[in-house]
Formats: sequence, C-alpha cells, structure tokens
Amino acid sequence: MNEVITSAVIESGSMGRVAYARIAPNEDLVQGIEKLCLAEGFKNAFVRGALGSLVDACLGTTSGQMRRIKGPAVEIVSLAGEVRTADDGSVCASLSGVVADTQGNVYGGPFVAGSNPICMTFEVTLEEWLPEVAGL
Amino acid sequence: MNPTQTGTPPTARSRTLTHPGPFNPVRIQSKRCAKSRHFRLKLQPGLSLFDALIKPLQNAGVGSASVTILGGYFDNLDYCVAPPDPTKSSVIAYTPPIAAGRGFMIFGNATVGKTADGSPIVHCHAALRTEAGDIKGGHIITQTCIVGSKGASALVTTLDGFELRVTFDAETNIALLQPQDQQVSRHE
Repeated sequence: MNEVITSAVIESGSMGRVAYARIAPNEDLVQGIEKLCLAEGFKNAFVRGALGSLVDACLGTTSGQMRRIKGPAVEIVSLAGEVRTADDGSVCASLSGVVADTQGNVYGGPFVAGSNPICMTFEVTLEEWLPEVAGL
Repeated sequence: MNPTQTGTPPTARSRTLTHPGPFNPVRIQSKRCAKSRHFRLKLQPGLSLFDALIKPLQNAGVGSASVTILGGYFDNLDYCVAPPDPTKSSVIAYTPPIAAGRGFMIFGNATVGKTADGSPIVHCHAALRTEAGDIKGGHIITQTCIVGSKGASALVTTLDGFELRVTFDAETNIALLQPQDQQVSRHE
C-alpha cells in the first residue's frame, strides 16, 4: 500500500519574532500556549524555554491512557514542543516534558490538552517559525 | 477531523483552585521582540549557577533572557519543591532547600530577569540526579548550586526591547517575574 504523506518530511524555514508570556493560574498549559500564539500573531512556533507549576499534571501514556500526577504544585522542569497552524486556521500545540511532584519525584510524557491547569505561574518563551513558501 | 468522535472521557477532571487575591481578568501577559540574540554560555567551574549565568550575561548587556541548561556535573546541588502552603497565605509555598549533594543536572530551564530594585534574578527549574543516585526535579537554588570542574553549557535566548521584572501579583499573593516595558533603576 502506498503511504500517503500529508505534510512535508523536511521543511525549510527561518526563525522570526520571539515572545515571552506569563500565563496565569488555572489556565491550561497547552491551550494557553495556543492562545499566546493567537495573541502575538504566530502561526508556527517552537518553545525555546519554559518553567512553572501545575495544579495537577496529566500526561499521556503509550497505551492511550492518561497519568495524573497530583499536586499542588507539580513543577514543570523540562518542556519541549511546537505550535502549528492547520489549513483550517486551528492552532495546535504539541508539548512534552518532565514534571516533579511535591516530593520531587519525576514523570515524563506528552501534556494532555485541557488537563494541565497552571498553579501559580507559567513562563514561556516562543520563537516564531517561518516556513519557506514553495515556489518563492 | 471526523465530524463526530467517540471515546472515554478522563476519569478525573482537572481542578480549578481558588487563590487568595482578586481574580485578574488578564490571563496572558506577553511581550515580543522582532528578533532575539542567541549566546552559547559555558558555565564556569567553581561558580554558583547564579554567578555563572549572570556575570557573563551582564557583560554582554543582557538583562532578560530565557536559558536552556544543557546538562552538566555540579559539585553541589540544592533544590526545593512546592507543596500546599500551610499558612494559606498562598496556594503553595516552597520547602526549605533539599540537599542533592554532588550530582548531575540533566536538563534545566532558567529565566533571567530583575528584582523590583533592578538586581538580577534567576528563576530555574531542572531535573537532576542526586549524589545518592535518585532522579529528582524541582526549583533550583541557583546561589548554592556549584558548577563542577568540567563546566556546563547553556543556550541563551535574549529578550530584547522589554524586560522581565519581579512584580507583586495580587491574585496569587506572591511576587512573580512578569514582562514589562523597560525601566531604569538605581542598579542599572
């Protein structure tokens, strides 16, 4: 069967503007970053730095389940990810990272959108990604 | 996307906490710059993590930045975690420093900004391996973490045209780094 490739395997581009945000308590980590892109007009971006705390963390598992790490606060100690805007205008952040519970024990995985409320503050730096437009 | 989707809802939904202060209707405070400068920083052996970050950045004229610490051995590591605040002054309160001893910082993120009076401040979270071999994570006490003999590398993304400054946040009842227009203070 032929594989259908729906997006470019390799994408050329350059880095653009840089935005920093402090996102407030009870906002969702993933959707907060998506809204930051809407606020700053970034269609595509990479996370260049992030730290903060969550009320509870919710990470996806390889079996399709979710693992909840109880806080507060669960500290975000590592975060990587990107934001992409689809043809229909929807903005989607894909974030993964490592968190530490109130005993300092660490857990890792993808952050489940809508299930990772910020506890005290979340600081994030995004760098805009500007893909080259084909044919230019 | 399919017009309809089926699936199992989460077994436990996320919690919304009540903070001690008034709700701020502004939920995302953001600033942007047209371009960042990037620096590779070699954290110098024997210095505290705070000094290893701040001194070269001050010399380069960088006051606000986001830093990725790429990992390295430390002669001393101290961290703390953030359980609920027993006094209820705020939702959580940091514990006293927890000694991890001689260890390895696996990965860290730090934000460099300014205190209210303009002095430099570093907010750092990291995952680390303790002297006892445990993998832990939390808020790093940068003043007492001592860079090991081989040093460590960090990538700096500068935040230019605005600054990060510690400002009291009424909602959470603590002082937090927040993006602001540039100020000039007596330390600058």
